[in-house]
Amino acid sequence: MTAKQIWVPTRLILSLLVTLLMVFPLYWLVITSLKTPAELKAAFPTFWPETFAWSNYKVVFQSIPLARYGLNTIIQTVGIVSLQMNVALLAAYGFAKGNFWGRDKLFVAIIAALIVPEQVVFVPVYVMLSKLGWINTYWALIIPHGASAYSIFLLRQAFKSLSSDVMEAASMDGANRFRIIYRILAPMAMPTIITVLILKVISSWNSYFWPLIMTNTNNMRVLTVGISMFKESFPGMEMMSYHLIMAGSVCAIAPIVLLFVFAQKHIVVAMANSTFK
Amino acid sequence: MEIQSVAAEELRLPTRRRKTRYRMIASFKDFSLVCPALLFLGVFTYYPLLFSVYISFTDWNLVKPAKKFVGLLNYEKLLTDPKLYHVLKITFVYTILDVVLTLAIGLLLALLLNVNSRVYNTMRLFIFMPHYISMVIASMVFVWILNNQYGIMNKSLSLFGMEPVHWLDSTSNAIWGLIMVSLWKGVGFTMIIFLAGLRGIPVEYYEASSIDGANKWQQFLHVTLPLLSPTTLFLLITSFISSMQVFQSVDVMTDGGPLESTKVMVYWIYQMAFRDFRAGRSSALVILFFFIIIALTIVQFVLSRKKVHYEG
Repeated sequence: MTAKQIWVPTRLILSLLVTLLMVFPLYWLVITSLKTPAELKAAFPTFWPETFAWSNYKVVFQSIPLARYGLNTIIQTVGIVSLQMNVALLAAYGFAKGNFWGRDKLFVAIIAALIVPEQVVFVPVYVMLSKLGWINTYWALIIPHGASAYSIFLLRQAFKSLSSDVMEAASMDGANRFRIIYRILAPMAMPTIITVLILKVISSWNSYFWPLIMTNTNNMRVLTVGISMFKESFPGMEMMSYHLIMAGSVCAIAPIVLLFVFAQKHIVVAMANSTFK
Repeated sequence: MEIQSVAAEELRLPTRRRKTRYRMIASFKDFSLVCPALLFLGVFTYYPLLFSVYISFTDWNLVKPAKKFVGLLNYEKLLTDPKLYHVLKITFVYTILDVVLTLAIGLLLALLLNVNSRVYNTMRLFIFMPHYISMVIASMVFVWILNNQYGIMNKSLSLFGMEPVHWLDSTSNAIWGLIMVSLWKGVGFTMIIFLAGLRGIPVEYYEASSIDGANKWQQFLHVTLPLLSPTTLFLLITSFISSMQVFQSVDVMTDGGPLESTKVMVYWIYQMAFRDFRAGRSSALVILFFFIIIALTIVQFVLSRKKVHYEG
């Protein structure tokens, strides 16, 4: 056998092993969510539940306001993504096609915001929002994320690569800037817009630090915070309730997994193109 | 009536003045489009950054309104506190292990899975998927997997005749629990980025070097690695910054324990601000930490300048 004949199947087997290892935690999450408490403590863990305890899901919905958490997460995600997208579209046009004094310097100032992590600004923002009475409101979850330097950067790149001819023709015909942005440039930059949209939906859905600090009542919690609090509610005893914690977790990540499955092509292309080249 | 007369006035203006005026209006309109973005970043990033600097010079308890100006006292107290060096050490150990392992494993996976076929595409997707799973949920799954008594990790070890390991409640192993979650979520992303880099290397380079008699290993060392260096630098900087800011996994898995063995910087900042309500001290820590991150990022750029090869 030649080296190539050995390498091809070895490569496949190694890759399959890695894939199995990476999928395992998710598999384990789902399987655990369907086990009975007795099966959790089995001498050796079962890889397929003896009986599917679908009732775990019912119990979770009865113990914590999971639907409310879900609604809060949806409002937070939709709010952040739509606000950010509009702010970024306008700014991207200004920086890519606009012409004004100090344009490129201002753009650098926008990009510089990327190096300021949210942990650096949360105390002053918390103080500011509590003065406004915004703590425990959707405003606190959404408004501070109104502009994303990353989205502006990606959209500006996309707009820059589009030819200005169509734009100029439209403006001759009397189209104003908003019309040019939303009716002409945005459809042409659709792949980038979808990329930004997906990435932002995922990151808003998964955000934890910000909603943890900006909310403190049960009915304002988002899924990530709510489920982490649910785990904390069994101090020392959490292992006995892991089937419930996992059932809640499955509900929290299901939309993202679905989004990933349906938009996988976009996501992978997006990731490969979104590095700062 | 009035509008008409303004328009008529405008028409009477000499052409050049009309043009400059038109240009000024156009550039003002362009500028106004970037204003919402500037406003949001100004109010929620730049102003808070400056305000943090100001708070750091005060002795301010978050629950009381009075701010007392204390100059550099907060910084002095922090720099003489042995805990600062402990927390910095933990943060650095975590960051170095995490960054090195994520990059190394990501590169290995990229080389291993660099095959264009349906099966490999699917496998790459599965490896990449954890990147998008919430860190909080991922951490909870690993708490369960790493449970000393019932966790699948120790049960599997026992199959190989190994003693059960104390994971999250051991001062030496807890950090590895955090790294495991981070690797699970991170290596797929590094793999995808490295793959994009690998595919950007022109085939001619490999052909030319194999004509010169280079073997695979020499090609890897002298073609692949140097030409991947811009990708590596990008990944190094971004994963360095995000590892330094590790928080969610610590909050869910260890609470900084046991015995503060996983007390990383952001967790300490969070505790100081929202458990002890010491806004002044925590802001000083934030500013200190911010400068450490920026300084080390610049160091990485400068050190890598000689090593990074851009094509052409």
